[in-house]
Amino acid sequence: MHLLLHVGFGIGRAAPDLLTVALLLGARELGMGRAAGLGLFLGLLEDALSVLAFGANSLAMTIVAALGAVTKDLFVGDSTLFLVSYFLIGKWTRDLVHWLVAGEALRQPFVDHVVVQGLTGGAYAAVVGLLLLEVTGLRKEAAA
Amino acid sequence: MPAYGREPETNAGRQSGMLAVTFVILALSLSYLPAPAQQRIAWTMRATVLRPFLVTQDRLASARMNARDVEELMAKMDSMTAALSTQAALSDENRALRRLLDLSERAGPTFLPATVLRAGTAGSESMFLVAVGSAQGVYEGAPVVTWNGLVGVIREVQKEISRGMDWTHPDFAASAMLEDGTMFGFVENRRGAFREVDRLVLDGTAYNEEALPGTRVLTSGLSGVYPRGIPVGVIDGVEETQGEWRKSYWLRPMVEPGQVTHVLIATRGAGDDISALWSADSVLATLTSDSAQATGRRRK
Repeated sequence: MHLLLHVGFGIGRAAPDLLTVALLLGARELGMGRAAGLGLFLGLLEDALSVLAFGANSLAMTIVAALGAVTKDLFVGDSTLFLVSYFLIGKWTRDLVHWLVAGEALRQPFVDHVVVQGLTGGAYAAVVGLLLLEVTGLRKEAAA
Repeated sequence: MPAYGREPETNAGRQSGMLAVTFVILALSLSYLPAPAQQRIAWTMRATVLRPFLVTQDRLASARMNARDVEELMAKMDSMTAALSTQAALSDENRALRRLLDLSERAGPTFLPATVLRAGTAGSESMFLVAVGSAQGVYEGAPVVTWNGLVGVIREVQKEISRGMDWTHPDFAASAMLEDGTMFGFVENRRGAFREVDRLVLDGTAYNEEALPGTRVLTSGLSGVYPRGIPVGVIDGVEETQGEWRKSYWLRPMVEPGQVTHVLIATRGAGDDISALWSADSVLATLTSDSAQATGRRRK
């Protein structure tokens, strides 16, 4: 869906970062190693489409996936507050790592990319993630 | 009881952690790969997993381009249609002028060419002005004709300008006859619900004589207003039968006054019989054809 919206339809930033949302959701279900592998694969998909800074997305997604898997051991439960924080921080972390790895020549100003776009995108991802959990019924299953 | 301590790491947990570290190192190393290797990896991903999405984007982009092309083509077609419609009007006017010139040559100096001016105000629908007057020999009652036939008659004459009425005016009337001279009557106007459906009627004809549809009707010259032989219309069917003594017929007019821009106006020297001007077979055949087409447009 992410690729269809971003690549197929060319919607761009108006479409949510469903890849990160999926990764964050998957990381809670998988172990750290497999989550990191998934992150690497999804990151590679994005890197294949980016002309510059090859590998930045891969590293960012791998790290976020690994950290997401760690949260399973640190935080239990699926309260709305936790999920919103999880998606928001996860997406923001992804943007932060990407900004750090991208290199000075290519990255946008920190305030633009990390603070504004990162937090806005994080909030967007949180809303979409919650909606997805509600729509697909994954949240109820986890509670049961 | 064993002392409280850290939960021992399982073998699977360690493996998972090692795997994660391996993936992180692998991801980090991607950035430091030589550019050709990076491009090869990217190309492989684009050619396999990402291919359907890229194809979708390509097709959507093509569809957008096509839609834009269609819009451009439509705009061009509209422009061309506008240009062509303007040229069609010029072409019509050119044809009318050529025909009028042809008629004028045959008529000689006894007919004056003039451009029809219409006031366009309420109540002046059936009236027109021509920029010739008594100074040029125009007189009250002078017939106004085109290559197709009778348009109307001059009603008021001043020195340099005259006012006329066309056949759609309620006061219009002309003595008329069939082309072969077998039936006489008078032509008058029947107003329709709209000006576009005004029609001519040949009235006052004998009951026992039949006028076949398609027969041409010319002015008879009996009333003294119009010279003999000006085409007025073509029989289109029976309008009304009164008792057993009178019939009237619908006529398809030879001239659509709304389309007339240039006319010829007869002067006193034109004579009482000008049928020779329209007597050529080709002219009359064309007249009939034009009249039928005009009627078709009016009915639509």
